[in-house]
Amino acid sequence: MLTVILQQGINGVVVGSLYVLVALGLTLIYGVLVQINFAHADIVTLGAFTAYFVTHLFSGNYFAGIAAALIVGGVLGWLVNAVIFAPLRERGSELLPLIATIGVSITLQNAMLVLLGPIPYAFDTPYSNNVIRFSGIFLTAQSVLIIVMSTIAIGLLYAFMKFTILGKALRAVSQDRETAALMGINPNQLIMLTFVIASALAGMSGAMLGPVLVLTPFAGATVIVKAFAIVIIGGFGNVEGTIIAGLIVGLIESYTTQFLDPGLIDIVVFALLLLTLAVRPTGLIAEKREENV
Amino acid sequence: MTKRTFCTLLMSAGLVGGILAGSAASLLAADQAIKIGGLFPMSGPGSYFGAQDKQGVELALEQLNKAGINGYKFVVQYEDSSCSPLPATQAAKRLLDQFKPDVVIGEECSDATLAVMPVMEQAKVPLLNAGSSAIKITDPGNPWTFRIMPNEVMQGVDIATKAYNQFNARTAVLLHENTNAGIGNANVFAATFTKLGGKILADIGFGRDVNDFTSIATRVAGLGKIDVIPTYTLEGQGLKITQALAQAGVVKGGGGQAIQLGTIWLPFGFEQKAGKAAVGYIRIVQFDPTDQRDVVRKFIEAFKAKYNADPTHLNAHAYDQIMLIADVVRRGAKDAQSIRDGLAATKSFSGVTGSVEFDKTNQNTKMDTVHYMETQADLSWKAVK
Repeated sequence: MLTVILQQGINGVVVGSLYVLVALGLTLIYGVLVQINFAHADIVTLGAFTAYFVTHLFSGNYFAGIAAALIVGGVLGWLVNAVIFAPLRERGSELLPLIATIGVSITLQNAMLVLLGPIPYAFDTPYSNNVIRFSGIFLTAQSVLIIVMSTIAIGLLYAFMKFTILGKALRAVSQDRETAALMGINPNQLIMLTFVIASALAGMSGAMLGPVLVLTPFAGATVIVKAFAIVIIGGFGNVEGTIIAGLIVGLIESYTTQFLDPGLIDIVVFALLLLTLAVRPTGLIAEKREENV
Repeated sequence: MTKRTFCTLLMSAGLVGGILAGSAASLLAADQAIKIGGLFPMSGPGSYFGAQDKQGVELALEQLNKAGINGYKFVVQYEDSSCSPLPATQAAKRLLDQFKPDVVIGEECSDATLAVMPVMEQAKVPLLNAGSSAIKITDPGNPWTFRIMPNEVMQGVDIATKAYNQFNARTAVLLHENTNAGIGNANVFAATFTKLGGKILADIGFGRDVNDFTSIATRVAGLGKIDVIPTYTLEGQGLKITQALAQAGVVKGGGGQAIQLGTIWLPFGFEQKAGKAAVGYIRIVQFDPTDQRDVVRKFIEAFKAKYNADPTHLNAHAYDQIMLIADVVRRGAKDAQSIRDGLAATKSFSGVTGSVEFDKTNQNTKMDTVHYMETQADLSWKAVK
């Protein structure tokens, strides 16, 4: 039984790491703009497909696929913010950019449906079927890669936010945009940077999720609801809280599967969400800023 | 806008409208049409059904409309029913209100079909189904719904009996999506297998949003000696389950002992996508590409010529639905009521996926082309006799 508990713990950390990668982009945008980005799921999907095609183009070089997904995600984030979101924000409406994210989501989803078709793709990397076994435990090299890459991404983001001038400026903008602007920070440039980083993260998370997901143009939609839940549980725009919440949700999923029933996963996760909202509405870790709930 | 511009626009619109109206009138005068509504999932996890169904339908239309049948040509309008009850109901209502079909084909997923049935019954338009297995679709029966595919009882009893008698299976773990079809198929297998003397070690259901099956595979791996794992999912989740079970060392594809058993739901090409994990996987299909019957050879030849690809049983099912309607029209049907009556009277239709003869519940009773196929080490398959 100890082996099973340990195995499910590893499974939970792998899934949780994937959720964290997806949720980090969402939480960054929410943290800075207090805006929910519904198109995030589709950038994840686009990242997954980019990694799929580039990996095949480079004869199975998965890292080339990850790098391409990161770049495509970042470029798309820049493009969408520059062309759609930024002009709408300038009109002073909070609702317009929110609705625009839904429009971008539907457009991306249907464009991928037309171009790539609805039939599931099998995205096997050189690491997907490479199974490592020890002491009754098994995990694929892909799972190890997911944990390593997630840790690196989280570490780099954390270091960027805590120790760089730009990171500090971002945090300042997220706490109080007007005061930050008075201090000489250009909020629009930092909002653009946020979109680029968040979308690059989404693209990369797509590359990591691709081999795990049922890869269709609707793939991102299956994880985004959990990612939203993680952002709320973690503390509305708080990076540390998101990491903790993502891992908790991953572990809940695997232990619910083992000891209860996989059909109950959503009930347990969303019961936790409701409990968090009832007991601690600010989430696990509350962020200090004006707009915080 | 100036008055002059407005008048020019108005005249142009009138001219275009007149041309379009004239074209439609001449079309109607030239040919009478049997209007077929196509309720297929074009989005969501079941959208692979819709894409392949559409190919089969288009091939059949191309063949039939060269000469027509009894002066009738066949027109299809598709609606995305998403393999889900609410969008399927809305799509069915759109079809009925706007297209006014003589007959509707689809849906694939049982939940969606069950939702659509009362809408069709109320409109008195026959629904011809080839992809939903839930027993509730034809039991106790609905005069306006017909099914040419074996239902969950026909499939489940056959699979469980084969597992117990031929594969000497004594223990089983059931994996299924939590839908009418998933639960229903699993229940029928469990009831038959238990009655024969087998033991169900676990019955594990899950939602369609589950992506990572490693945790489920871990749980299955801890259940002791398993002989068979009947699995009831759509293609995408099926791929992930098979790979996870192989990674956990449970099924033959991963060096384990258990045989994974699958259903008609999966398309051909599943093995190639799942890779080595699918080795030893046994599933039933209702279309055998090596079948030497003339209707099958001609279908395969025409499909390859049109799409430059091998047909799947989903293509074949959709093709058969249109050909069965054409057969009914050949026998004199011309509207919804006569198509319904013609379908009910079908006795000797021989399609690509087998013969059709409906019982009093409008369930096809023929299972003459149901085959078991096993995935080989080179990912090809061989028939299991």
